[in-house]
Amino acid sequence: MAGKSGRSISATPENTLKKTIFSWEGVLVILFIAVNIFCMTISDVYNLKNVLREMPKYLAEIFLLLPMAFILVLGEIDISVGSIVCLSATVSCMVCNKGIPFICVILVGILVGTACGMVNGAILTKFDELPPMIVTLATQIIFRGIAEIALGSGGSVSLSNADGFRAIAGRVGIVPYIFFLVIIFAVIAAVILGKTTFGRRVYAMGTNRLTAYYSGVHVKKIRFLIYTVMGALAGICALFMVSSSYGANTTTGSGFEMDAIAMAVFGGISSTGGKGNLAGGIISAFIIVCLRIGLGQVNMNPQLILLILGVLLICAVALPNVIAEIKNARKVASRK
Amino acid sequence: MNKKLVSALLCAAMVVAPATTAFASAEGKVCAIVTKSAGNPFNEKEAEGFQEVIEAEGGEAIVKHPESATADAQVSVIQSLISQGVDSICIAANDVNALQASLEDAMAEGIKVCTVDSTVNPDSRMTHVNQAGVQEIGQALMDAVLDITGGEGQWAILSATSQAANQNAWIEAMQSIMESDEKYAGLELVEVAYGDDEPQKSTDQTQALLQKYPDLKVVCAPTTVGIAAAAKVLQDQGSSVKLTGLGLPSEMAEYIGDDDAHSCPYMFLWNPIDLGRLGAYASIALANEEITGAAGEKFTAGDLGEYEIVEASDGGTEMILGAPFKFDPSNIDEWKEVY
Repeated sequence: MAGKSGRSISATPENTLKKTIFSWEGVLVILFIAVNIFCMTISDVYNLKNVLREMPKYLAEIFLLLPMAFILVLGEIDISVGSIVCLSATVSCMVCNKGIPFICVILVGILVGTACGMVNGAILTKFDELPPMIVTLATQIIFRGIAEIALGSGGSVSLSNADGFRAIAGRVGIVPYIFFLVIIFAVIAAVILGKTTFGRRVYAMGTNRLTAYYSGVHVKKIRFLIYTVMGALAGICALFMVSSSYGANTTTGSGFEMDAIAMAVFGGISSTGGKGNLAGGIISAFIIVCLRIGLGQVNMNPQLILLILGVLLICAVALPNVIAEIKNARKVASRK
Repeated sequence: MNKKLVSALLCAAMVVAPATTAFASAEGKVCAIVTKSAGNPFNEKEAEGFQEVIEAEGGEAIVKHPESATADAQVSVIQSLISQGVDSICIAANDVNALQASLEDAMAEGIKVCTVDSTVNPDSRMTHVNQAGVQEIGQALMDAVLDITGGEGQWAILSATSQAANQNAWIEAMQSIMESDEKYAGLELVEVAYGDDEPQKSTDQTQALLQKYPDLKVVCAPTTVGIAAAAKVLQDQGSSVKLTGLGLPSEMAEYIGDDDAHSCPYMFLWNPIDLGRLGAYASIALANEEITGAAGEKFTAGDLGEYEIVEASDGGTEMILGAPFKFDPSNIDEWKEVY
C-alpha cells in the first residue's frame, strides 16, 4: 500500500507486517479501534445496534467521499457536490409526488446528479485552464439556485407517499441496506483506484498532468468521466438523504462537500494530487462517524464536536510533515 | 347562558380535581429538549424553562442543540436520543415533515414526542405546545388598541404580506372580536396596510397611513418587522400616533415608553421561558402516561395551572400556553437582553 508520505504511483510489492502497521492506514486502523474503545468508555449506550441505527445519515456522505478521492488524487477539487445532492433530492421528491413508479424516481435522482456532474466535467475539459475550485464554486451556486427556484417560497418539498423511500431505508436485522451498498461501492472504488490501469493513470495525472498527457493518457476523457461519476454518486447520496427525511429543502446536503473532503484528507489523500489511497479515506470516514456518534450520545455540545474534528484534521495533515522533518533533521545531524 | 357556563365549569372542575392530586413527578425520567439551533436566544430561554421544571420535578433534563439550524442536523440529534433511551423528546422543529421518519422511530421505541414553538405534522408528534392561540392574540391586541386609543377613534393595521396565513388569522380574529362586543363600538378600523415584512416597504406604508388619516390614533402591527419600522417612523417624526402589536424586545426597546417621546406604550410576544416550562410539564405527563396527547385530555402544569389538549388546525392536537406576554416599560430592559 502506498504510504501517505510516499510518492509511489502504484501499490508497492513489499507488504511486510511492519510496513503495514507503520503506514498511515495502519495508524488509522489503530486510531479507529482506539476511538471505538474511547466511545464505549464514555457512553453506556455505544453498542453495535445503536451505532448501526444512527449511522445511515453519515454513511450517505461516504458515497461522496469515494469519487471525491479520485478528484483529490487528480489534484483537483469539487465543491459543488452538496448542491448536486440538494438539486437531485429536490427533483426526486417532486417526481415521486407525481406518482411515477419508484424505480423511475431512483433513476431520475441518479440522472439529475449525473447531468450536474457532466456539466462540471464539460466545463472543466472544455476550458482546461479554469481552476476547478472556481468552476465548481459557480456550479455550487447554480445547482442550489435551481433547486431553490424549484422549491419556491416554502423552501421545502415533502413526500406525499414515502413508501418507496421508507423501503430503501430498511435494514437486514440490525444492519441498514445502505451499509452494504456503501461497502460494495467502497471496495469497487478502492480496487479501481489502487489496482487498475485506470487508477494508475489517475495518479499519473495528479502527479503531473502534462507528462501524463504526453504519455498517451486520455486526460480529458478521464477527467470528464470522474466528474460525471461524482455527480451520479451525489444522486445516490441524495436518495438516501430523502429516505431519512421524507423530503428535501434548501439546506439539504449543505456542507457535504467539505465533510467528504475532510474525510479524504484525514485518510491521507493529499489535495495537491497523486498521493494517498482510498483505504485510508474509508477508514478515516468511519473514525469520524464513530466519534460523532459517540460524542453525540454523551450530549457533548455539537460545536465542540466540530471543533475536535477540526483539530484532528489539522493534526492528521500536519503529522506526516512533522515526521518527515524530524527524519530530515536526524539525517542532517548524523551527517555532521 | 350563565347557568350553562356554571354547570360546564363545575363539570370541568370535577374532571380536573382528581388529575390535580394525581400529578406524578418526573422522578427517574430522562426528558430531552431539542432546539432549532445553538445560539437561538428564544430557543435557549425555552430550554432554560424546560430544564428548570424537569430538574425541580426530580428528573434528568437533556438540552440538545443541533449543529446547524437544519432538519438534517435535528435528525442526527433525535437518533442519538433514541440510542440513549430517553423517556421523552420535546422539539422545536426546523421543518414540518422532514423529521417524520426519525420521530416515528422514536415513538416506536416508546419515547413520548411533543413539539414546542414550531411543530411537525400530526403523524410525527403526540401533541404540540403552542405559544399562543389565534383568539388570545386577537383579544390581547384588540384590548391594547382599545386601551391606547382611550376607547374611541381611528386605528389601522400594518401587516406583513396579504397571503401570510398567521397574520390573516390574527387580523380576522381582531375584526370579529371588535364586532362582537359593544365596548369596541367607538373604534374605527380605517385600513389594513401590507408592508410585506420588508423594512423599507413597511416604513413607506406607515408614512402613507399618517398622510391619509390625520386623525389616526393607533397603528397595530402584528409583525416584528412591521412594528420596528413603524416605531422608527412615528418616533422620528414625533407623531402623536401610538403603536402596539407583536415585536421583538431587543429591536423595540428604544421605542417603548409611556411618555410622548416614545412611540410604543407596550406590545406583545410570547414568553419563551413559560413555553419551555409547559413543554416540560407536557413531557412529564406524557412520560408518566398521564396523558396520551388526545384531544380533551387535561393535566396540571405545576404553577402554570390546568391545561386541556385541544384539536389543532392541522388535524393533530395542541395545548395553548395562554395570552401573549406583555412587554412594557417596566420589563423591557430585562427582556431586551434576552431576544
